[in-house]
Amino acid sequence: MINPAIVEGQIAGGVVQGIGGALLEEVAYDADGNPVATTFMDYLLPTAAMVPEIEYGHVETSPPSVGGYKGVGEGGAIGAPPAVVNAVADALAPLGVTVTRAPLTPAAIIALIEAARGAGVSP
Amino acid sequence: MKPAPFEYHAPASAKEVVDLLSELGDSAKVIAGGQSLVPMLALRLTAFEHLIDIRNVGGLRGIERRGETVWIGAGTTQSTIGRSPLVAGTVPLLARATPLIGHFQIRNRGTIGGSLAHADAAAEYPAVALALDAGIEARSPRGQRTIPAADFFTGIWSTALEPDELLTGVTFTPWGPRSGFAIEEFARRPGDFAVAGAAVAVELGPGTSGKAITRCAISLFGLGPTPLRVQAGSLGSEAAETRGEEIGRAAVADLAEVPSDLHGPAAYRKRVGAAMVARAWTRAIEEALSV
Repeated sequence: MINPAIVEGQIAGGVVQGIGGALLEEVAYDADGNPVATTFMDYLLPTAAMVPEIEYGHVETSPPSVGGYKGVGEGGAIGAPPAVVNAVADALAPLGVTVTRAPLTPAAIIALIEAARGAGVSP
Repeated sequence: MKPAPFEYHAPASAKEVVDLLSELGDSAKVIAGGQSLVPMLALRLTAFEHLIDIRNVGGLRGIERRGETVWIGAGTTQSTIGRSPLVAGTVPLLARATPLIGHFQIRNRGTIGGSLAHADAAAEYPAVALALDAGIEARSPRGQRTIPAADFFTGIWSTALEPDELLTGVTFTPWGPRSGFAIEEFARRPGDFAVAGAAVAVELGPGTSGKAITRCAISLFGLGPTPLRVQAGSLGSEAAETRGEEIGRAAVADLAEVPSDLHGPAAYRKRVGAAMVARAWTRAIEEALSV
């Protein structure tokens, strides 16, 4: 790596963005089609106060390009959403819940649990 | 966005503030720390032709004992309140509510008078004032009066303050030695407004083993157009052993105007509110029993 700080900064940013997509960020509309998340009071982004510790592991390969260089980007954004959503799905599986949408807000999780109960799945 | 244009006033005395308020009427708004007002102006949710800044007004800051009560000046910042040993010792519920307000940068600017006058239904200080029967002092050209917290919060962002009244201070009367206090809230992220929250204060009967509750107050926030005081039903003599879950369910059972929005439908907020009451009740009872 030419500059590990930049590489890991990219990964951290991506991971946090992925967590945001899984748990917080929602482009919501009301029944008339008006956007309801029009400020950062309502469109919630993960903040520094809620980011977990992130550990990095690297596999370095050189592509057949001039000098063997390649770029690195926000790859964490690919892995973080399924990691978080699958963790929630695994935790809720004993309750008969199937997770089908994101973000998994607290209210959405409660609604899923209640729907599973209503469907007669015994906890 | 930027606020609509306004004229800025920075008078040096409370008298000048109320004179300006009575002259300018509804076109003027008092600004203290600006932590709620400025974002609302910037989003143009509201607009005023005149802002009256009270930063230069003497006598509006400080925390002191006044007879049986503790007086806190309206312009005292939340940070100052959170650091005050006098508040921690005499009004612990207020001290415990403080770290739940926004983030530290907000608490460095935000004031107790601003929190109460703004009267957000999901804010912490209004719920604490309601639970502890605080006295809210207001000054107008007609003189000074004290408004009981129970009469102060009248609707969404609305209070009993007249257009020409300035909130100058708040008084709290400390509870007895065998008391316990707790405040609990749930927010989507640290520092966000609570989806729902509860403040609980309990006082147990005399002696060191009595479990009868002689006094108790529960207030809810984020669960109506204003902070709400739960009307206590009859509690038995061994009330301190009542389970928090039962109290929580009962506290939210009759709520009629629970807000519903992106962060939670009304039924979810009630459920969260019941859980917050249960947690706060359990902690407050534990504390009262441990004294």
